[in-house]
Amino acid sequence: MSFMGFLLSAMALAAGVGVVWSRNPLYSAFCLIVNLLSMAGLYSVLDAHFLAVAQVVVYAGAIMVLVLFVLMLLNLKAESGRKLGVVRPLAAFAIGSWIVATAYPSVVDNFKKVSIHELQENLWRSEGTVRAIGEELYGRYIVQFELSSLVLLIGIVGAVMLSKRKQPAIGPRPGGLGGKA
Amino acid sequence: MTSMVAYIGVSLVLFTLGAIGVCIRRNAIVVFMCIEMMLNAVNLAFVAFSKLQGNLDGQVAVFFVMVIAAAESAVGLAIIISVFRSIVSVETTDAAQLKW
Amino acid sequence: MELLILIVKVVVVMNVALMLASTCTWLERKGSALIQDRVGANRAGAFVESKRWYLKPALPLVRAMGWLGLINTLLCDSLKGLWKEDFVPSGASKFLHALAPIIAVLPIMLAFAVLPLAPDFTVGGITIHPRVAPIDGGLLFVLAMGSVAVYGVVIAGWTGNNKFSILGALRAAAQMISYELPMGLVFVALIIVYGTLDVYEIVEGQQSLLWGVVPKWGIVMQPVGFVVLLLAGMAETKRGPFDLPEAESELVAGYFTEYSGMKFLLFWLGEFAEIALFAFLLALLFFGGWDIPWVALPKGAWWAALVGHLVLMAKVLFFCLLQIVIRWTLPRFRYDQLMNLGWKMLLPVSILNLIVTAVCKVAA
Repeated sequence: MSFMGFLLSAMALAAGVGVVWSRNPLYSAFCLIVNLLSMAGLYSVLDAHFLAVAQVVVYAGAIMVLVLFVLMLLNLKAESGRKLGVVRPLAAFAIGSWIVATAYPSVVDNFKKVSIHELQENLWRSEGTVRAIGEELYGRYIVQFELSSLVLLIGIVGAVMLSKRKQPAIGPRPGGLGGKA
Repeated sequence: MTSMVAYIGVSLVLFTLGAIGVCIRRNAIVVFMCIEMMLNAVNLAFVAFSKLQGNLDGQVAVFFVMVIAAAESAVGLAIIISVFRSIVSVETTDAAQLKW
Repeated sequence: MELLILIVKVVVVMNVALMLASTCTWLERKGSALIQDRVGANRAGAFVESKRWYLKPALPLVRAMGWLGLINTLLCDSLKGLWKEDFVPSGASKFLHALAPIIAVLPIMLAFAVLPLAPDFTVGGITIHPRVAPIDGGLLFVLAMGSVAVYGVVIAGWTGNNKFSILGALRAAAQMISYELPMGLVFVALIIVYGTLDVYEIVEGQQSLLWGVVPKWGIVMQPVGFVVLLLAGMAETKRGPFDLPEAESELVAGYFTEYSGMKFLLFWLGEFAEIALFAFLLALLFFGGWDIPWVALPKGAWWAALVGHLVLMAKVLFFCLLQIVIRWTLPRFRYDQLMNLGWKMLLPVSILNLIVTAVCKVAA
């Protein structure tokens, strides 16, 4: 792992802890933004240039703005006073470390079975430039690509229908929320 | 290749963090954000595998995950808002009625 | 050597951005005064006197600058900003309060990294590309940075801890994500026309003549796109008739109501840098960048690059001026008018434009 990769991974993990840890949902959202941006950096380190920019545009630019918008609209306070207790976080931590401890060795084992030589030969082709990704998307994956546009359309229609109201009341304008998908 | 293993490790830890968040947080929006984080962890694994395999299939998969995440966020947040309208709370423990 | 060139490029690009931003500040001060039939800043430094003999030769220059308002806008205002009390509202996170103006400025400055300032040229056997980061998908990067800039506004509004700030931030967020869509669609249409995402290659694609008569500029190839981008860009910079987020008659100052001193000035710097960035985009994408129509400059000569840079700067300054004039002449929209314009006018028009462009491209 390169130095940049290490730094960005550390940032992503720290921000990930922040998302789960902070009691104020707005801080969680800010942590998630840091997490997503450092993930974009990681993609860039891994030669997925298009995905890095798409990550910033889609996640940081659209999804998280929407989340922040909703958070500020509902104007939520920190999670209500009911205490989490000690048991649940501890149990969560134990279960989490158990999952990581069991899954990680099996991943590493499977890696060892693949010959390194075979992998090195392929490395030249994995540069994720816009042109390369575009050729894949509009070539082999054209059907899935067109279907994904349908998914987005259904998402838009669903969001508009869900936020539509019978009688006017105080709240968000339907158009402002449903449209951006 | 060892560096790729490290990326898979990061992805694994992030995924687990997200799963823990889904389990212990009660605010529906935070749960939603934790789900996004899990999706991202899987995306990182996809990109790392794509680099390892030397083809772009993994990156194309990430693209589709992003599409789904965008649609999911629009619908999910609309659901959260309409739940908030009926019970004036976004905590998952408060939305306990089967019928309103 | 590579590193040295890179550092020089970074310094030059940063300077161009900051100089343009401060020029815009001055243009706005004096321009608004002209438009409103006022005199504008003309005192600070205009009557400066000195008995020191070595300062005498500089005095006429200083007086002229003071009379033009340059000293007031560029020196006095920033010094005043530095010495003002730095106010943080109670209950707000100090860290986030300080972070917001930085996030508002940083992405705009980063976006300048992919913009070419002049054609490539060769000096002493070294070819120099006058842009900092020739990354893959430069236009997408500009779009991404534009969408990251929303966070500065949102965080600022939230740390303001009052209703005006929150309302301003909500308005700004909704407005910016709404107008990003037509903007992105115009970019896509441009990408279809010129077949590349690299801003430099788009500019290079505009150098030739269409049918040997008209320059192949973006405005000729994409007239609808230009109008849509002009409107969407004005809305993205939150200025002109679209300054709902900071509408002073209803929201005090919108999302930066609670900001003072240098942090307040940073927001203004970000806004003026955004104007400059947007003027750059219009000049590069729609007006041929450094292209002078029907005049062919030799490729690679340093003087040709210099001339090209000056031509580009003239175009950029023109668009900065245009935005300032629009901002001071048109009345403010109502919020529903703004949303209707974005979603019911610009978005369908830009989608139609995209379809027509694609059909023309396939047919050609």
